[in-house]
Amino acid sequence: MTELSMTELSPQLLLYIATAACLFAIGVYGFIVGPQTLRRILALNIISAGIFMLMVVLAYRGLANGQARASPDPVLHALILTGLVVAVSATAFALALLGRLKQTQASPEHQP
Amino acid sequence: MMVLLLVLPLLGALLMLLWPKVAPLLTLLTAAVCSLVALQLVSRVSEQGSLQILLAGWPSGLAISLEANSLSSLLILLTTVLQLLVALYAVATYRRDKLGAGFWPLSSLLQLGLTALWLSRDLFNLYVCLELLGIAAVALVSLSGDKAIKPALNYLLLSLFGSLCYLLGVAMLYGAYGVLDISALALQWQANLLSSAALVLMTLGLMLKAALWPLHAWLPAAHAAAPAPVSALLSALVVKGPLFILCLLWLQLAATTQAQAMAPLFSFCGLAALLLGGIAALRTPLAKNMVAYSTVAQLGYATLALGLLLQFNQPLFAAALWLFVLAHALAKAACFLAIGEMTATLGGKRLNTLKGASQTMPLAMFAFAVAGGSLIGLPPSGGFLAKWALLQGLWLQGDQLLYLLAIVVVTLLSAAYVFRVVALAFDRAKPVKPDFAPHIVPQWLALLPALAVWAMTLYSEPLLRLLKQEGL
Repeated sequence: MTELSMTELSPQLLLYIATAACLFAIGVYGFIVGPQTLRRILALNIISAGIFMLMVVLAYRGLANGQARASPDPVLHALILTGLVVAVSATAFALALLGRLKQTQASPEHQP
Repeated sequence: MMVLLLVLPLLGALLMLLWPKVAPLLTLLTAAVCSLVALQLVSRVSEQGSLQILLAGWPSGLAISLEANSLSSLLILLTTVLQLLVALYAVATYRRDKLGAGFWPLSSLLQLGLTALWLSRDLFNLYVCLELLGIAAVALVSLSGDKAIKPALNYLLLSLFGSLCYLLGVAMLYGAYGVLDISALALQWQANLLSSAALVLMTLGLMLKAALWPLHAWLPAAHAAAPAPVSALLSALVVKGPLFILCLLWLQLAATTQAQAMAPLFSFCGLAALLLGGIAALRTPLAKNMVAYSTVAQLGYATLALGLLLQFNQPLFAAALWLFVLAHALAKAACFLAIGEMTATLGGKRLNTLKGASQTMPLAMFAFAVAGGSLIGLPPSGGFLAKWALLQGLWLQGDQLLYLLAIVVVTLLSAAYVFRVVALAFDRAKPVKPDFAPHIVPQWLALLPALAVWAMTLYSEPLLRLLKQEGL
């Protein structure tokens, strides 16, 4: 593995990393502030998009300098795939729970 | 052997989905076989030292590696035995309590997630285990019907948020060092801004998932809403998973300067949890909420022990930390099963329902009182062992009067909330009539872990020796 600290990244990659950080920050803001549950679920998705973007960018460390490895880091791609599967199933589960919550609230016996 | 421990619950869960009719039987069978295998693993690890395997024969660094040291094997044994016990309780009560067919495969998946978590030594695998654990736990909470959906959804969202914070930390560390394996990462570790930021992010995520003060607010609602066997599993085992990862991070990865900086914070959070959790447990009018708040408080002991361990690097604190985890798991399982049994039979959620329970349901009340004794730390129970190790460590450090005083106060507080229930139960003037004749078998099942936590003292010496040297 080539050792590269964050400071050696090219400006282009730094821009991508800043974008990923912005996505993460937007998601965290939405998650903490958003009163509706659906909005919070979407905020979680934005957070994970930010993290996956960071991972994609990190996979290209060393390539941008025109040296080191010939292909992007495959381990990170594997991690992203796993992370995506987890994120999709968790979102589906959250939406299903939300759907059931709405159903129970709408049914007559629960109305005050 | 380790692979068997992982494959069996997974296979069991799949078969349960195929044949729902034999699901209870299958759950019992998997849990029983896994308990035996775990027992064998414990004896093998204690003889030969820690075992490590690389899955599918890939070279190290690429393969998923599993490692069982004596602490992991003990925790696996605890998990499988409690799973077996809770499954027995669920078999005894599921017709009455309308548990739902989902319980059986989900509890097996929960066991799988926990076992994998105790065995993993790789940051990303730990993330996957955390998610598996979280989703299975939320699904189990939502089993108890419409009222549980809201707390379950809240639990899910916070748990996902916690895991994402953890994942961001993992991505940052991988970006900086290019490895995920904890021991390999520890070799290259540098104390700089990036690694500190990653550690703080992961710690926040894990504290949220482990319900450590001040991120505990979701726990009482979720644990109280779940059906009794599920609450027992959640309080006894699930919150310990993230705690285990937290200890791995801070004890194996963090540099001494980072650990020293974080230690007072952990100690403070621990003490605050003990104090505020105890007060909340004393004030709540609902029986299950009281036990859930007591979980928040008791987790404070583990946080406090972790903080002191990081600060003083004294092996006694490591022993105290893991003894708390073991003793609390057994005692809390007993508490939740006993309270669940009493509230189901006496027909009410409030603590007042337990009035005169020493007369109407003496066995379940005895189980609660015995387990409560361990929560307070009365000798000779597991809770006492843990507290003794903590006090001894503090005493050896010298000049820690403030901590000693705080521990006395919170012990009195835990005694207050346990005796609040016991006093109500002995109020025999107008006992609450049970809705139906109390069942004997579930009450005995609630009593078993309570007796086990007192039996821990019989093995106190090997336990202390093992946990002191292991300490992670």
